[in-house]
Amino acid sequence: MARLAMLIDLSRCLGCQACVIACKAGRELAPGERWVEIREVVWGRFPELRGAFVPHRCFHCAEAACVQVCPTGALYKRDGFTLVDFDRCSGCGYCVEVCPYKVPRLVDGRVSKCASCLDLVQRGEEPWCVRTCPAGALQCGTREEILAEARARVAALKDRYPEAQIYGETQMGGLGVIMVLPAPPEALGLPAQPQIPPLAIWKDGVQPLSLGALALSVLTSGIAFFIARRRHLEEKRNSQNHGE
Amino acid sequence: MATRTVRWVLRYRPGQRVVHWLHAGAFFVLLITGLALIWPPLSFLAAGGLSRLLHRVAAVIFLLTPALYALLDFRGLRDLVRDSFTYTREDLEWLKGFPGYFLGRTSHLPPQGRVNAGQKIHHALTIIAYFAISGSGLALWLGKGSLGPTGLLAATLVHDLSMALMAILTVGHIYFTFVYDALPAMTTGYVSEEYARMEHALWLASIPQEPPYVIEVQEEIPEPRRVRGARAEEEAVG
Ligand code: SF4
Ligand code: SF4
Repeated sequence: MARLAMLIDLSRCLGCQACVIACKAGRELAPGERWVEIREVVWGRFPELRGAFVPHRCFHCAEAACVQVCPTGALYKRDGFTLVDFDRCSGCGYCVEVCPYKVPRLVDGRVSKCASCLDLVQRGEEPWCVRTCPAGALQCGTREEILAEARARVAALKDRYPEAQIYGETQMGGLGVIMVLPAPPEALGLPAQPQIPPLAIWKDGVQPLSLGALALSVLTSGIAFFIARRRHLEEKRNSQNHGE
Repeated sequence: MATRTVRWVLRYRPGQRVVHWLHAGAFFVLLITGLALIWPPLSFLAAGGLSRLLHRVAAVIFLLTPALYALLDFRGLRDLVRDSFTYTREDLEWLKGFPGYFLGRTSHLPPQGRVNAGQKIHHALTIIAYFAISGSGLALWLGKGSLGPTGLLAATLVHDLSMALMAILTVGHIYFTFVYDALPAMTTGYVSEEYARMEHALWLASIPQEPPYVIEVQEEIPEPRRVRGARAEEEAVG
């Protein structure tokens, strides 16, 4: 399937929490679990105050630090989203440590974060949050469609919000959640340039290498054992014969 | 039944054996539960959190073994550390002959003291790996939430590499144990005099030739030839 993405238009978000509830109910999340959270942000100086609701959730980064670091493969990428195989999560918490957006949490010893409603999308339906949003702030589609729509909305906003812009086109290799911002990301509590941690060498390099070296040592000694054992017994017999 | 007298030499005192097996047991629990945390084919073991709990219980035992060693047999610990980091010209000679030793021969090696150069290096690397594993493990355990991406990367790198080193050392350790029949040293505390003569001649000469250092045991003489002959006869008849 083509690379998918979601659109969040902050200029339309009412902060009504409908998506929060829809996600929790639709995905049957355990008590204490919540994949979408709405943060309220205020910027400017009185009386020129401005505000926005900023949904905080997994941004489905293309170069997802959490996927790079997850040792068991519980986190993985598909069609632009970062999915979770909950049965494979060992609860190590490495993803919690490395996500530049501080998204994943551990609940009851396993990871909890938006695993996307890809199953619904593949059936031609909309994600729970998207279909519930009463303000039309959310959308889901191919990444090209979403980017085009985002550009159109930014253009329409420029009068009211001269600093309106798109977020997510380039960050972390390109996010799977494209946001229409009424203000610069910093004002909304979003890092303008989140850092991709230098992690790939660990999981892709060091772990296979150490496992390989271990396997090799088992193999070598397994083969050498038969030779060494025979020669040792031979030597022992010889020394006994000499002793007698 | 024919018997013969076999001499056995005390190699490890009870305290040393207890510490050895505790350390080994903790190590294997750590290795398996650790593999479950990082190796996808084993990750089903890790789901549910039991392996994480076991990993931590074993980690505490693993961490405490040096302290326990000091408590039970301080002399043993002191000798271990001293011998692991002092090398002589003879050790170099021994190392030159290592390939032959690896393949089962000892006669070409210079006579060795209590530990040979190979064992010294093994012990030294084990000690270093112990500190690397413990330090990085504690950082991962206690530093959770404050390590940051770079700290996490560094700690896991050190943890994985030092654990791989220790696992490979352990493979070699088990290998030599079974090539040279050294297992009784850690089960009963004694090695056969023959083993001591072949591998640690200087050490054998340096200890008092009396109990409990050297003991004599009556052993049945195995008679493999006759048994095999008898079976051959039976087969021939049948
Ligand atoms: S936002 Fe965090 S949890 Fe989501 S894909 Fe990116 S790194 Fe992973
Ligand atoms: S907590 Fe689970 S999802 Fe996160 S890195 Fe560890 S195994 Fe992967």
